[in-house]
Amino acid sequence: MKALLLVYCALTASAQVTYQDLVRSPNQEWLNYNGDYGARRYSPLTQINTVNAGRLVAKWVYNVPGARRLETVPLVHKGIMYVTDSNAAFALDARAGREIWRYRADQVKNSRVNRGVAIHGDRVYLVTTDAHLIALHRVTGAVLFDKEYASSKAGYFSTIAPLALKDAILVGVGGGGSGQRGFVAALSPEDGHEIWRFWTVPAKGEPGSETWGNFPAEWGGAPTWTTGSYDPELNLVYWPTGNPWPDFYGGRRPGDNLYSDSILALDGTTGKKKWHFQFTPHDVWDWDANEPPVLLDTEFRGQRRKLLLQANRNGFYYVLDRVTGQFLHAKPFVKRLDWATGLDDKGRPMLAPKKAPTPGGTKICPSVRGATNWMSPSYSPATNLIYVVTLEQCDIYISSAKEPVPSSGFRGTGSEGIPTEPGVFFLRALDVTTGNIKWEHHMPGPATMWAGTVSTAGGLVFTGDDDGNLVALDAATGRDLWHFSTGHTLYASPITYEIDGKQYVTIAAESDIFTFGLFDAR
Amino acid sequence: MGACSACHGANGEGGQGPNLVSGRGIGRLSDAQLFSVIRNGLPGTDMPPFRMADDKVWQLSSYVRSMSAPAVAMRLSGDPAKGAALFSGKGRCSGCHAIRGVGGVIGPDLTNIGGARTMHQIRQSVLDPGARIEPGYEAITCVKADGKEIRGVARNYNNYSAQVLDREGALHLLSRSELKSMKIEEKTLMPGGAAELFSAAELADLFAFLSRQTTRPVEGDSK
Repeated sequence: MKALLLVYCALTASAQVTYQDLVRSPNQEWLNYNGDYGARRYSPLTQINTVNAGRLVAKWVYNVPGARRLETVPLVHKGIMYVTDSNAAFALDARAGREIWRYRADQVKNSRVNRGVAIHGDRVYLVTTDAHLIALHRVTGAVLFDKEYASSKAGYFSTIAPLALKDAILVGVGGGGSGQRGFVAALSPEDGHEIWRFWTVPAKGEPGSETWGNFPAEWGGAPTWTTGSYDPELNLVYWPTGNPWPDFYGGRRPGDNLYSDSILALDGTTGKKKWHFQFTPHDVWDWDANEPPVLLDTEFRGQRRKLLLQANRNGFYYVLDRVTGQFLHAKPFVKRLDWATGLDDKGRPMLAPKKAPTPGGTKICPSVRGATNWMSPSYSPATNLIYVVTLEQCDIYISSAKEPVPSSGFRGTGSEGIPTEPGVFFLRALDVTTGNIKWEHHMPGPATMWAGTVSTAGGLVFTGDDDGNLVALDAATGRDLWHFSTGHTLYASPITYEIDGKQYVTIAAESDIFTFGLFDAR
Repeated sequence: MGACSACHGANGEGGQGPNLVSGRGIGRLSDAQLFSVIRNGLPGTDMPPFRMADDKVWQLSSYVRSMSAPAVAMRLSGDPAKGAALFSGKGRCSGCHAIRGVGGVIGPDLTNIGGARTMHQIRQSVLDPGARIEPGYEAITCVKADGKEIRGVARNYNNYSAQVLDREGALHLLSRSELKSMKIEEKTLMPGGAAELFSAAELADLFAFLSRQTTRPVEGDSK
């Protein structure tokens, strides 16, 4: 028996995902939720390119049993693709679309979307709706541990694709709309025990707690429901946070409400905060900052800098120095923006008058879904453009001063669409340092999708559109080169990978995983 | 029960009527709903009403619910520690089956077997392993064009590809076009003879051990 185990370990060791593999992703493989640690989602693959994109055809479709709204971003390693649904993970043959194993946490009573696994060593890591981290053997799907990291009885839930670092698996929680206290936690890859935790709402007496008045920290929100980015050289994790609670009424939480709607720069080893930047102080519009933070080293005003870029839900595109957190530049990337007249030299919004929610309703732009949201942007070094899925829409925002009760569904009221002013989606290509719009791709549709993007060295940017198409655009010009109608609404970001010399593009669409490649006559 | 088994199968595992052991359908019904289904039937389906006294209907619904209870809820007597020793020792179970990452890969993972299977299913798998082969664990032999033979379990296969896990834990993602031959054996790799190998007391210990393998505590169990 021992001999058998030793043989097994020896054979599988070479196929383990190392930290260096994670740093080098994406190449032929796709090993992080956003491709690389910097959330650039730029693939070096060139086989599918601007010349031949028109020859893309469907290679396979895998129906995820029982799935209704897939938001999963697949990971691909050694020919295996890992996808998730609520409380479930599936390993597929990435060439053939055939299932190798499946895991379902049948004991979990509640069910929300899931955005994907992390991979580390010979394990894949899945969170369940009730905030457990589950480690599965990447080849067999065997359960290695199942560890709770937040209490679902206290209202926490989780939908996140974890982030694997060298010695930790990072997770976050939802709960911004129901009055839980957000946190980022680093868990052991070995057994799931907690290594560090950073609370996104300071406890009474801690720095930042003065920005809440007497509001209980335990109810503050600032959830951490999307995957952060990481700079291996600086060993800094950049984790975005969501809205303060109650979402639409701020009367009981006077102040900026740190660290809601912020980027937190945390030491990857200790979880200690190095800096923070808050995009929307004292948010009453539900504009989470959970959009992926894009890390980029480039020239900015004549100086080479380490930048952090974020197209924020509040309608401004931000450029920060990611070493210090210094605000460098911002510019609106939507036309429908009227809540602020601009930003000051520290990046703080200058509020427009009468643009807060009221009991009778106030029209405010952008809408509660934001100018963009958690759908992933991508960057191309060939064009120096960042590709952002953008929604032009306004809403009627309504507030209520009712006494807040956590986990009761209370959000201080909410928003309504304006029937005569439907939202319109665009894919916009922004110059990374100025935020100027270089080109845009209009997406006619019902304004209901949440698809992201991936860009490639083949000169392409792939995105889902608002009519259920996966589309390939010329990254330099926005020219529409190819599309495929999935027949579904898209709620996920595409990826690309290569096996045996063949490049593939994959996107999850409601209930199915669609994979495409070039037409092959053989 | 005779009337029930005509449609739901001798062991309640389904036939013309749904599987009552999987727990998926029954688990979603409240006690009152289950009572109503038995008493009144399901109009528009083949499920007829059973006009019995209330207490008989309650007894029957209680029994039906117990059929899908996970093994861990049975709290079997027997010594789990001795069962663990048999699992990795005399029974050589761990050569093929893993629990929390320890053990072989050629058989189904048993980390949550007590939480996912009924005691009837576990008992059947141990004592009569050929009665049911878990999908994805059929024995397969593939011969590649160069003559290299790959033997293991077929995690999946069709006319175009095969996904084969071999005894050493290596996964082979094969295209049928690169194979000279592929043979599926419709029998389990799991050896029989457990009833002869183990004494009755040892079997009780083994079942006590297996039934307690779960990734989550059973609701209401403070232990």
